[in-house]
Amino acid sequence: MNELDDYIGTEKKQTFLEKLLAGFSFNLRLIWKNISNRKKSMMIITIGLVFSLSILFTSSIWTQTSQLIIADDYIETLDYEMYVSTYLTNAMDSVYAYTVNDYLVRQVDWYYPTVALFNFEDKGPYYRWYPEDQQENMSNPVSLTSAHLISSRAIDRIKLNLEIDGNASLNSGEILMSYTQAKQLEVIYNKTISPGDEINIAISRRIPNTDIGEHQMRFYDINETIFTNYTITGIYKYVGYNTAIAKLLGGLENTGGMLLDSIFFPLEDLSGIDRFIIDSNGLLPRLLVKTNAQQLRINGISQMPDTLHALSERIKIRFFHAYCYILSQEIQTMANEYARTFSSTALFTPAIVATIFLTILASQMTVKKRKEEITFLRSKGAVSSQIIAIFFGEFILVSTLSLILSIGTGILMAALIPSLGHEGFFSKSLFTRYFEYLTISPYDIEIYSVLVLGIYLGMTLINVVSFVRKDIHESMIITVRGQRLIGMWIKLAAFALTLAGFIFLIVDYTRVARSSYSFGYGSIGASSNALLAFIAVLFFLSYFVSIGINYVLRTIKKAYKFVFKQNSFLIYKNIKRQTKSLQDLTFFLILIICLLTTFVTIRSTTMYNNTIEDAYRRGSDIRIQSLVAVNITEFEEKLGGIEGIDEIMGFQTIEAIVGSLNVDVFGVDPSKFLRIGRWTDNSFAEIDPESALTTLEESPSSIILSDYIVDRLEFTIGENMSVTDFRGGPFTKEFNVSAMIKSAPGLGIAHGFDPKMNRENYEWVLLKEDILINDLGVHNGTLFLATAKEGADLNLIKEEIEALYPLMTVNPQQINPDYIGYFIVKYIPHVSITLLMGAIVLNVIGVVYILISTDFILGQRRRENAVILALGGNQGKIRKMLVGEISVFLISTLLIGIPLGFLSSLLALTFLKPLLIPHEVITLTMHIDFGLLAIMIVTLCVAALLGAIPIIRKQMKYEIVQELRAIV
Amino acid sequence: MVDNQIIVSNLLKSYSSKAEELTVLRGISFEVAKGDVICLLGASGSGKTTTLNLLAGIDKPTAGKIYYGGKDINEWSTDQLFEYRLKEIGFIFQEFYLLEHLNALENVIVPIILQGESEEIAQDIALQLLNKVDLGRKALNLPQELSSGEKQRVCVARAIANNPSVLIADEPTGTLDSKTGDSIMSLLLSLAKKNKMAMIYTSHDPYFTKMASRIFVLQKGMIVEHNPEDFADIGYDKSKFEFLFKGDNNE
Repeated sequence: MNELDDYIGTEKKQTFLEKLLAGFSFNLRLIWKNISNRKKSMMIITIGLVFSLSILFTSSIWTQTSQLIIADDYIETLDYEMYVSTYLTNAMDSVYAYTVNDYLVRQVDWYYPTVALFNFEDKGPYYRWYPEDQQENMSNPVSLTSAHLISSRAIDRIKLNLEIDGNASLNSGEILMSYTQAKQLEVIYNKTISPGDEINIAISRRIPNTDIGEHQMRFYDINETIFTNYTITGIYKYVGYNTAIAKLLGGLENTGGMLLDSIFFPLEDLSGIDRFIIDSNGLLPRLLVKTNAQQLRINGISQMPDTLHALSERIKIRFFHAYCYILSQEIQTMANEYARTFSSTALFTPAIVATIFLTILASQMTVKKRKEEITFLRSKGAVSSQIIAIFFGEFILVSTLSLILSIGTGILMAALIPSLGHEGFFSKSLFTRYFEYLTISPYDIEIYSVLVLGIYLGMTLINVVSFVRKDIHESMIITVRGQRLIGMWIKLAAFALTLAGFIFLIVDYTRVARSSYSFGYGSIGASSNALLAFIAVLFFLSYFVSIGINYVLRTIKKAYKFVFKQNSFLIYKNIKRQTKSLQDLTFFLILIICLLTTFVTIRSTTMYNNTIEDAYRRGSDIRIQSLVAVNITEFEEKLGGIEGIDEIMGFQTIEAIVGSLNVDVFGVDPSKFLRIGRWTDNSFAEIDPESALTTLEESPSSIILSDYIVDRLEFTIGENMSVTDFRGGPFTKEFNVSAMIKSAPGLGIAHGFDPKMNRENYEWVLLKEDILINDLGVHNGTLFLATAKEGADLNLIKEEIEALYPLMTVNPQQINPDYIGYFIVKYIPHVSITLLMGAIVLNVIGVVYILISTDFILGQRRRENAVILALGGNQGKIRKMLVGEISVFLISTLLIGIPLGFLSSLLALTFLKPLLIPHEVITLTMHIDFGLLAIMIVTLCVAALLGAIPIIRKQMKYEIVQELRAIV
Repeated sequence: MVDNQIIVSNLLKSYSSKAEELTVLRGISFEVAKGDVICLLGASGSGKTTTLNLLAGIDKPTAGKIYYGGKDINEWSTDQLFEYRLKEIGFIFQEFYLLEHLNALENVIVPIILQGESEEIAQDIALQLLNKVDLGRKALNLPQELSSGEKQRVCVARAIANNPSVLIADEPTGTLDSKTGDSIMSLLLSLAKKNKMAMIYTSHDPYFTKMASRIFVLQKGMIVEHNPEDFADIGYDKSKFEFLFKGDNNE
């Protein structure tokens, strides 16, 4: 017996397990062979799956991880999140002990307010220092300033609000001095004051009450707290915005208030007795509370304000006398902005859906290509379940590979996008930081995997089953026409349901949007929901439009003759036969072009709107902001004299109360404001700016209120109302409501927190300046708007003003430099980048689909082309014919897809606003970037045609004889 | 020699694959004159179709020459070969190779259009040709709506659409019953005669040699010309020609 006989001679008895394993191994080999024989199609499907899944995973991982980093970063840039005070000063130690031990608290620092004196050495106890500018000896006056007594540790946090010339340290024997105070001392000492200089300082343990005549030096308690030769380590300017210290000490319009003219003194240099005396003299200490960011964001970024509230409640419930101020508004704004910007990534959904769709179509083509294989297997007696099992096995292998690759890609992309997006360069630190914070949600991974792979498996198996069980399929559906009719009715019904759902969501969005004056959580959610329904509507719409186009393409024979002349016969016949692949191609191209146009248009609209809005917020050609409140009339004259400035106006400003709302009251010269301000038709509600400001000019008792106040308090135009608590006192004045305003140039929105403007209050009202100057005695303000003379150089004007007045900034790049978007921008691409990326992805998908389709359609036509060649047709003609065909589809889908995209943008812009902008300060109107659109479209067409040519050439290289013989 | 349209000289064709090299034609030579009706007889796999493909310029020989009008077609450029196939050759395929999405009339129009005629003229010519093959009434039928005989008639009309000099038919009766086969052969012969075309057709059935003026038998890659009278003498009885078909099973 030879080896073969050994092998076949005895029939080995296999156990059930062995049979099972043998069968499994055989099927596995078969599946592997199938995959390796179809490398190209399998690669396309795998890439499609990896692409769709990894985008979803990236979005999930990125969201989860970014919110941690954003929260940590934001909290790190705040000095403190809370300050606590109490009128029972002897309980302060207990409050401190409780607060410092709270799990949420990282650090608690003491703060004592008092007064510091300079040039006091030669002044006797009876020296009269009050009024400060009319002292007993004005040739050698004493200098008084606010003193902030803090620990040296606290300066590390407070310095975040200061721009310091010198060092930011506050060790024993050191002080930090404000720029304004330094300038005062320069006059007094007649020398320059610079960092490193030594100075004598007295810290008062008591502040005299000038109301009862305590005007002499003896009323200060400084004898025990005189410090000699203290080093001025740094001279500071206040530059903070979202800060607890500014809430404690800040003044009008974030000017820094007491921080502007003050010093910081090391608390440790005072004895316990000193502190006790200060305390006993009614100078109440405060506790500055810094929280632990990791604990604060433990329940998610949106819960941070509430978590902070809970801390304040914990303190207040235990110490009824305690007052806690928390920065919840600022943190809430950050959380809102985070929600909005992350929701804007929902705009990427169409690209993801299109990718999934591409994958499905590619898998459909693969199944169709394998029609003969299925027939062959059936003819050899394979039962349906065996064939389905082979496809299922292939699916499992491809899916597993795709899943592994997608998770890897998702993690990498989540770290790469912010690292690459940040300031246009790769940031290694951000990249590694992402990995430190990396958070993966198994729930998201599972949902997305099931969703994408489920759709892919479902569609593939439906196709396989329809081939495998064709007999059953045909017996169930009597005729092809009947099948088509049923299919069409199902699609129409699905479209009707989707459309109804979309309309419902739009109504819901309109309801939510109307009830709010700015876009918050509710409107963002409603907008995202409407977007998802809208994408589904677009899919259906593209499908039905594609049917219409295909019908038209079948009926315009003369047009083909006119364009393609001799080649028109075969081009027309090929288009007329309307295979499923061609129908799919039309549908998918319309969809892609429509989405591409929508993406580009929404992006350009958003960017254009931002530019216009920024200009509106700036207010005029020139915006001048002063760090200190200045006399408006005086500075109008000073600044107006600068060359290049045409007309200038300032805003007298004061705080007051309307109803129960704190408001900023701005005094304006109405006619000047009308000329200088960049008004829009949307600035006022129900009236144009000219009429509104003319009424204000002509009726001195008029007041312009926000539409929110008018609605809330149910005022009518012409009705009288009162504004109370001017200057925080009992002063009340009556006005006549003359107009409702939504926003004004230079001032931003009239109601709501406008993070870009960094206003103190949620509301502002407009009065004629005469009322503020003459009736209320308000002369000061911090804001000026001016127009420039024709041809004037704005940069020169800016340089001149900033050189003359160092506490003034001209046309700042951002009105609020600490605009919350900074943190978001750092980690989340701007909506314009999301849209651009979406457009690029759609472009790539479009090109890939055209190439796959061309390859598939040509594959199906290989024998046809071989016959034409055998009959004497030449390759050039066939190439022209194929390029002609692709061009017909490209051009017809462009002609329909682009206008459809414009319509879709127009509609989408009505409900996408919350995902694009925080407030509609100016009306969001469609703006088309024809340049970018043209680039996108031309790229799509050129890439498609250039990509198709090698495929056509490759197809043409086959031997005619082989093609005629081959089973394609 | 001058009257010969096609001269085949030492034609050799082999196919190579990873496993083996298969030689189908081992240096065949023959000549075709105007008006010749040549039957190429041989078993399946003897190289009949290969020979026709080489003659039609849709395949290339491994060695040897094919002269048409005194010029070696293997030295022609691709465009010259297209021109040759379009204008000089009419090819009837065994498996019809009709374009499934075109109706009978449109299938016949294709080569006429390829020659540069307008669609209107091509349509008139094609309709006349379909009438000639007695298929005018089914001009608008799609191939799947036609019987095999009707499909073959469409192929005939398509093959003669450009009035070629040489009509090549690969087993024109191969898929047809004998009655339909007869009628197709008669049609081909009458058209060839009427249009003064040379005609080369293949068959594995000696019965169809009776229409030929010359008979070539392909066996073991070699070609031998037989006297048509020999076939007539034995009544085209297939069993008596079995010796011709031994040893060939290349396909």
